[in-house]
Amino acid sequence: MHTSESLRPVVRRSLHFDTRAAGVIAAACACAGLAAAAHAQQTQPQDIVFKNATVMTASHGTIEHGSVWIHAGKIAGVGATVNAPAGTAVVDATGLWLTPGIIDPHSHSALDSDVNEATSPVTPSMHMIDAFDNRDKALYQALAGGVTTELLLHGSANMIGGQAVVIKNKVGLDRDAMLFPNAPGSIKFASGENPKRVYGSRNQLPSTRMGNFEVMRQAFEDAKNYMATLDAYNAKVAKGDKDAIPPKRDLKLEALADVLRGKLYVQIHCYRADEFLTEEAIAHEYGYKIRAFHHALEMYKVAGKIAPEQTAIATFTDWWGFKDEAWDAIPWNAVMSMRQGVRVALKSDSNDHIRRLNQEAGKMVHYGGATEDEAIRMVTLNPAWIIGVDQQTGSIDVGKDADLVLWNHDPLSTYARAQKVYIDGDLFFDSSLPGLGTPHFSGVMHGDNDAGSDDEEDGQ
Amino acid sequence: MKKRTGYATNAPCPVILSSPTRFQRVKFAMNPVLGSQQWLRAPFLRFFSVARAGILSAQSALFIGSEAQRSRKPALSLPKGTCFLRSCCKGGKPQHDLRTGSIISVALLLAVLPACLSVPLSAEDSAKKVIAISGARLLTVSHGTIENGVLVMADGKIAAVGEAGKVAIPKGAQIVDARGMTVYPGLIDPETSFGLIEVESDQNSRDLAEPSDEIMPHMHVADAFHAETELIPVARLNGITNAVVAPASVDTIAGQDIFIQLAGADRDAMILGRDVALAMNFGADQRRRGGRAGGHAEFPSTRMGLITQLRQTFLDVQDYVAHRDAAAKKDDKADAGKDTKPDAKKDDKGDKIFKRDLKLEALIPYLKGERPVVIGVYEGYDIETIMALAQEFHLKVVLNHVTHSQEVLDKIAAWKVPVIVGSIYDFPRANERFDAVYTLPSELAKRGVKIAISSADAGGPVSSHSSRNLPYAAGFAVAYGLPYDEALKAITLNVAEMFGFGDQLGSLDVGKTANVVMANGDPLDVRTDVKQVYIQGVPVPMVTRQTKLRDEYSK
Repeated sequence: MHTSESLRPVVRRSLHFDTRAAGVIAAACACAGLAAAAHAQQTQPQDIVFKNATVMTASHGTIEHGSVWIHAGKIAGVGATVNAPAGTAVVDATGLWLTPGIIDPHSHSALDSDVNEATSPVTPSMHMIDAFDNRDKALYQALAGGVTTELLLHGSANMIGGQAVVIKNKVGLDRDAMLFPNAPGSIKFASGENPKRVYGSRNQLPSTRMGNFEVMRQAFEDAKNYMATLDAYNAKVAKGDKDAIPPKRDLKLEALADVLRGKLYVQIHCYRADEFLTEEAIAHEYGYKIRAFHHALEMYKVAGKIAPEQTAIATFTDWWGFKDEAWDAIPWNAVMSMRQGVRVALKSDSNDHIRRLNQEAGKMVHYGGATEDEAIRMVTLNPAWIIGVDQQTGSIDVGKDADLVLWNHDPLSTYARAQKVYIDGDLFFDSSLPGLGTPHFSGVMHGDNDAGSDDEEDGQ
Repeated sequence: MKKRTGYATNAPCPVILSSPTRFQRVKFAMNPVLGSQQWLRAPFLRFFSVARAGILSAQSALFIGSEAQRSRKPALSLPKGTCFLRSCCKGGKPQHDLRTGSIISVALLLAVLPACLSVPLSAEDSAKKVIAISGARLLTVSHGTIENGVLVMADGKIAAVGEAGKVAIPKGAQIVDARGMTVYPGLIDPETSFGLIEVESDQNSRDLAEPSDEIMPHMHVADAFHAETELIPVARLNGITNAVVAPASVDTIAGQDIFIQLAGADRDAMILGRDVALAMNFGADQRRRGGRAGGHAEFPSTRMGLITQLRQTFLDVQDYVAHRDAAAKKDDKADAGKDTKPDAKKDDKGDKIFKRDLKLEALIPYLKGERPVVIGVYEGYDIETIMALAQEFHLKVVLNHVTHSQEVLDKIAAWKVPVIVGSIYDFPRANERFDAVYTLPSELAKRGVKIAISSADAGGPVSSHSSRNLPYAAGFAVAYGLPYDEALKAITLNVAEMFGFGDQLGSLDVGKTANVVMANGDPLDVRTDVKQVYIQGVPVPMVTRQTKLRDEYSK
């Protein structure tokens, strides 16, 4: 496995700076005034010390009666005691639990159903940020369940879908302030029933799994040809050919080229064991790496083969039977796969389940006997790795963003409620407040689209 | 039976007791008396298929005895003649080294055949066994918690329940050492689609609702109930022992529910009650609007239409009953020739013929208030509208869903109607606090409303694939203020009472059906593992298609 930072994909938006950034900035400026009027703006977060909490770090076990010090939005200390200066505000967390913020690596929230550009099986130049509605109530409801970071993905109608947006769930701030700074880009691929159903029902390619994978291979052949054309042009320029004509930019092929260049994390919707193997083979053939299989309900069958590929999974805990390719789903999948060496995250793919991913983690104690440490990691550090933000968030370690949740009960139990949720050290949810409990938001949210899943209805 | 991977359902894999793996520590030996439905249905056939597989492929290894017997402390004494098979078949290929040669394997298999045939083959035989669960924490539901209790099951019923030392354990009873365990009545899911659906996306396996008309009271769930569904063992494994099966909430009147037990020799043994309730729905979803999905609007396309149609239907039933009774009276007079009613004609033999209308007839018991009408309704104003109609016709109402009814909770309490709350995971409206629905069970219980909680997922139709998560929905209600005892009642006794089974099910009381669950902790907590489920006093093998897959791939 290449773990060097050189393989870390570039920041997603940079590629499009020329064509789009100016507009984004202009819009941001225009919005700033309005936003300030509508919402309380983010203030410099206060330094805080939590004392006497049960601190579940996700990276180095649980500290009973532990302390955590937040300084300037970062975690500055964690342990039995911390060296915070005298006068730092103290939160007495006696009888409470402190965890990293919950991270969902597979969400379609806040997109107003614009999940699938289901008009072609290859749409890599779609950007989910273009549909992101930062006022959607789903974000707030997830925040109240302790969710601090989400990967908003394209749907699974297309073999090669669009590019994801990573958000910090700072409900109440303006849209740009909710984007996760410096998060790498991810692109959504799919496989199996959804693409073949969507296009097959229109008598188009693909209508079979053979068609599915051939569509993908053809797309990469097109991309390779595009890259070769670019290389040839660059070579001419290097030789000093002043008459060389640059090839026309093609947004679709450019995005695919970025996959082949390793600039985008590849996140693949995939259920069946045989398809994991095919996907890995195609990735080897074209020279990219698969960051994670999503859903991955049959991973327990081939986990020993996938583990060496360093491809993670983002899976449901106990969903099954909703479609043929979910027929062999078993709730022990996550822990069995983990024991075989696969990095496992749990995810929602649902505006419902995103509100209680902590309980989904708790089920892993039941289904397979995960330790509490392993279970909490499945909804914090492991999904952070899948998104590529594990250096910034996902565990309670010094230097990381202060994305924290204070719970009234063991977060792996049915009974846990998030009391306070901090993102970058700032309080974004406080259940003791009247009304919505959102210090940064008061007003009316959007959203009547409650499903938040792309898997059935929206796959069309 | 559904496919899928080509081995698990079809291959002879009657794994009764798997060896303890790191994923599953088996603490309780299972009595292979009551299997999955297939196992129960044809034990002989199943056994011979095992034997055949062994002979033909010589790939089955057989182990006699059990892990529990080999372990230091057997938790259950095993009945004489019990045999445990552990098949190593998978897709017809050997999965691990055979400890014996194939010939020996076959010989062994044949040698133990007679022993295996002495396994009690019916629930009836086995129900005669007396089992005493000793030392557990008993959550009786009806009369509090007994910390160190004894529960005796005999003849399919609960024979005794009380504190250890105060309950006599009958001589010869099989004693289950349940120290450290929590024991509670089998959970009852008040709204499922068991046997009406197998794979959600597969139309051929869906018998959820008949959408061709709005008024479909003559749709009997019993006619579609597929008892061998794989969903039932999966739910049972987590302690669900009974359920209501209802049609999906598409039609204004969708059909009539059944009340089932999640084990039994066949469909008839599993259906404890046919047509136990009428499934009604009222609200925006029932309007025939066409809309973005296509189609065109047709009557009734508004709530005005829906209510008018319902009222007319109920009046039609009253008229039908009047005519039917009149015809019957004339018939009684045995003077057939004088009848002039168009719907009461004379046939060649002179007997009275009254043309039955199955649709209207189906509604009679409900208009008489003999059986409950479960009305699925979400919004407060819709609840007020439909309750006015229900009161006009004296229906015996159980409200269902009510998740956007926060402003009429006092009225619901005043009507004294029971409520199936939920899904507790339904979404609040955009202007509501995140916990507006989570707190609903607590708010209703606070007002004295009798509540049940169903396993339904948020937003959509019931997905009974997740019925096993029923206790967690109740636990979540506890997190948001519902007293623990009320939460447990909401998935046991209250459901039984709402559907007419309160005298048989729902609590640990002497004389009730011995549907009992033993778990290693709090049943409402997601981390708890159910160790043994008893249905009618018989330990159900803790085996499902999913545990088989787990065990196959854990080797």
